[in-house]
Amino acid sequence: MTGNADCGFAAVREMAEGIQDQGRIVSGCAGEYYLTVDEREFEDLVLSLSQSKCVLSGLFCVEGFVTGSRFSLFYVFEKKTNILVVVRNIENSTRSIARVFPSANWFERECRDGFGVEFAGAFDDRRLFLHETYPDGFHPLLKSTKNVPIQPKPEVEPAEEYPFRKVSGDGVYQVPVGPVHAGIIEPGHFRFSVIGETVFNLEVRMFYKHRGIEKLAEGKRVEDCVRIAEAVSGDESVANATALCMAAERIAGTIVPDRAWYLRTILLELERIASHLGDQSGMLVDVAFPLGANQFAVLKEEVFRMNELLTGSRFLRGMVCCGGLSRDISRQQIGHLGEFISHFGKRYQVGLKIVLSTTSVIDRFVSTGVIKKNILLPLNITGPAARASGGKADVRVDHPYGVYDRFVPQPKPLNDGDVLSRFTIKASEIFDSLKLIEQLVLSLPEGPVTAGFTVRDGYALSMVESCRGENLCWILIRNGVVDRYKVRTASFCNWLAIEHAIQGNIVPDFPVINKSLNLSYAGTDL
Amino acid sequence: MVNALSCLLKKKITGESPAHNEAIEAIGQQIRREVDSVFGRSLAIRELDCGSDNATEIEIGNLNNPYYDVERFGITFVASPRHADVLIVTGAVTHNMAIAAKKTYDAMPSPKFVVAVGDDACNGGIFAGTYAVLGGAENLFLVDMKIPGNPPSPAQILSGLLALMRKAKGNG
Repeated sequence: MTGNADCGFAAVREMAEGIQDQGRIVSGCAGEYYLTVDEREFEDLVLSLSQSKCVLSGLFCVEGFVTGSRFSLFYVFEKKTNILVVVRNIENSTRSIARVFPSANWFERECRDGFGVEFAGAFDDRRLFLHETYPDGFHPLLKSTKNVPIQPKPEVEPAEEYPFRKVSGDGVYQVPVGPVHAGIIEPGHFRFSVIGETVFNLEVRMFYKHRGIEKLAEGKRVEDCVRIAEAVSGDESVANATALCMAAERIAGTIVPDRAWYLRTILLELERIASHLGDQSGMLVDVAFPLGANQFAVLKEEVFRMNELLTGSRFLRGMVCCGGLSRDISRQQIGHLGEFISHFGKRYQVGLKIVLSTTSVIDRFVSTGVIKKNILLPLNITGPAARASGGKADVRVDHPYGVYDRFVPQPKPLNDGDVLSRFTIKASEIFDSLKLIEQLVLSLPEGPVTAGFTVRDGYALSMVESCRGENLCWILIRNGVVDRYKVRTASFCNWLAIEHAIQGNIVPDFPVINKSLNLSYAGTDL
Repeated sequence: MVNALSCLLKKKITGESPAHNEAIEAIGQQIRREVDSVFGRSLAIRELDCGSDNATEIEIGNLNNPYYDVERFGITFVASPRHADVLIVTGAVTHNMAIAAKKTYDAMPSPKFVVAVGDDACNGGIFAGTYAVLGGAENLFLVDMKIPGNPPSPAQILSGLLALMRKAKGNG
């Protein structure tokens, strides 16, 4: 690892080229590097980072991180395998970088809502997760704001309603959809501007499910926050719990036993398989092909039952804990899993064959909802959505954790970026995950599943490849409790891809495009 | 011209259902009877997510997979609250969803029933007493039945719906 860290440091110094006195770049405890800059340096650095095609994969605010400044803003820049966290210590405001890094738009609005930080020159300063009924001047993530019930406004006057982007012109009309949808899905609002049948523009409005995840974690023992991490997004329970525990373990210097990492990885991959199967089934429902949809729905139910057999929870909850796993999985249970996995691939192939040889399905999937490769980096689009559009990013490969450095997945990106590509990439990822689980089951080492975990103060970044892409987590532990828990799921960034994917498509294709991305509303809204 | 009788009698072209689970079948048959007698042969449910972590939605969605296939017991999930007898509420009811949730409930014709599904909807769960939520569906609606769980399994949801129908019959 040391060798890698050295070459990582060289690459990070290159990222921060132009900064005087590079000795200020300090290494974090998770392979990331931190650099604190002043306003003037920041502007030049942002431009050079953008020119060298870095990605802004996270931006979050922390109050009271250093003495002498009220807030610290952490800008997480990524370039391939290297992570540079640029820190800005500020009083109340700084300049917006959303024109240079478009992914900053939602991040900055999130910081403004949470802390009241202002971003000068921002092209969009509407509220994000605090909807209209939240009182003015309320900023939940300020330390002075206690986490107690508030009195929301009982009604919203028409003048106070959320101003959607104005789209006008000959024949443009609006189609408002949501937050309550027709199916059994999560709430969100889609504002279509349509000409004839063709979508000219879409604006998504999320955060209907904002339930205060980050605030809830503050002041709690990190061990007790695992339950909160699991509630970020139900179908990413293992991914988010792992990200949190990994950050805490890195701060504490805990060495998680091998067996625990093997088992965690099995759970992570089972979670991915279940999610991908659900997406594929949903995509087929949305093109009215229940025969195909049910093939995958049956398999998904069987994965859930296997989950329950292994862990007692259909969502694999309560397993991942700081230091490893809360309990072992018996040899007999692992035997059942091996048996299940060995037959799974063949059965999955049967469903796949039915679907891919049905012309009415292919007709609906092909060239629908194209995500172009050139938006991947500016918007930080990750996961299968990116890998279907020629992107290569995969946290398991770029920032390997646990045993992924020994069992390296081989992403096989597709280039068309349409619904069919996303369907196919998910199919190929299911096969990869099956193979990976098979290997892990065969080589599962004996030994304990937990190392003693003793909390230590500090901060660390962690990233996990969830079923939807790169989930980022950053925690600050002070006086033995969580002072700040930042979680940014892949969905948060990927939502903006849908605004681009739908343009030029017809409204009736929206459900299948939406399902092909299958983003988590809960994981975005927090 | 297709002979209707031969359609009924000839061998079915669909596959066998994946698994026959006695417990699910037993609950299902009881639900079938109660739906017939209490709700005039069909129970229409509108699902309303008021801030869950999406696990509950997934389990409710699973009720439609071939393992459960609840439509054969007379339960349908409908697209509009105007067609619904029952509103299934999940999540601790966020402030951001409160107005939309109330509108959804108001759009349902009477008589109507509310079922809280999952710990968050039952009593606010881990979010009870925090800034972002009302905390439990009963803070917004009169709740007729609670189905706790994190999340409850499809079988538990079915048992809860059966209990609701028995309760509705008792009141009728």
